[in-house]
Amino acid sequence: MTIQLKKFGNTLISRQNGREAWLAFNYQLQNVKPDESIRVDFDGVDTFSPSWADEFLTPLFRFRSDGKRLKLKKSDNLSVGATVDTLEEVNKIKFKWEI
Amino acid sequence: MTKKLFKISEAAEFLGVSIDTLRRWDKNDLLKPIRASVGSYRYYKKEDLELFLNDIFVMAKKWVLVENPKELASEFYCVDSQTFQSRLNKLGQQLENINDLEKSFSLITSITGEIGNNSFDHNLGSWPDIQGILFAYDLNKRKIILADRGQGILKTLKKVRPTLATDSDALEVSFTEIISGRFPENRGNGLKYVRKVVSEINKLTPLTLYFQSGSAVLNLKYGDLALDISESDFLFHGCLALISF
Repeated sequence: MTIQLKKFGNTLISRQNGREAWLAFNYQLQNVKPDESIRVDFDGVDTFSPSWADEFLTPLFRFRSDGKRLKLKKSDNLSVGATVDTLEEVNKIKFKWEI
Repeated sequence: MTKKLFKISEAAEFLGVSIDTLRRWDKNDLLKPIRASVGSYRYYKKEDLELFLNDIFVMAKKWVLVENPKELASEFYCVDSQTFQSRLNKLGQQLENINDLEKSFSLITSITGEIGNNSFDHNLGSWPDIQGILFAYDLNKRKIILADRGQGILKTLKKVRPTLATDSDALEVSFTEIISGRFPENRGNGLKYVRKVVSEINKLTPLTLYFQSGSAVLNLKYGDLALDISESDFLFHGCLALISF
């Protein structure tokens, strides 16, 4: 499954919006097979921030086997890299980037 | 001969606002025109308009300081986080169109978002007087200003760390430690992220940040390893931030 984050907007800020996005997306996760990989695509996102991401990417990482089947698509948007770094530091987790 | 006075339509064009906005600013004493007599046409001095453009930070400072502030111009006032989000989207688009910000616009937008949302998140249901934030920017001067008349960092963090005694201590903690004033929620990354972006990441477009809460002021720039926190000569209950780029 690939999650196109742009479907939630171009400027992804605030915990409130991140939480709403996560709740809205949750029903789709119920259809993910136990061994299915999840890919996050940042294309089309102009601004990413830790508040939004901590409400969406962090629970996604913890969904089932702690990030083992989650991959982030490389992005040249600087706010994406800076935000993911911050989440890793704060939550003591490590995301996998797609090679 | 140099033209000395602007008609209201010319002043509106100069400032990039509507004529109605200028009339409202006149009514609210935000920008006063010159009138020959009550009810006569409004005229504006060019230097007053230039001063006004340069002084959005002064305007923000006045707004957080005065005891009974007048209504802010709607162009600068975000009553809720939805309004802020929509204006931030617009700022992001405008920044992206500035040549040298093609890469770093997203970082500037995201730290602006974190500072603004911090004000809303930590004052939800607890605004001491006026709900919402002031959010203004001048892309020619490359400045973004955010201000709130909320509880301020010290009061917010004291809920989870009662030993905090001063605004300076609270400011330091908020920019360095993972601590949330809304425990047990897992929050409190926003200002650490702002510090990281300003001091470590954004070397393409060096940023400076002035951030005041209570009487404590943080001045931060690219390359700063330690926090430079000092005492201000004025005090208010809330936060005032200036991002320069």
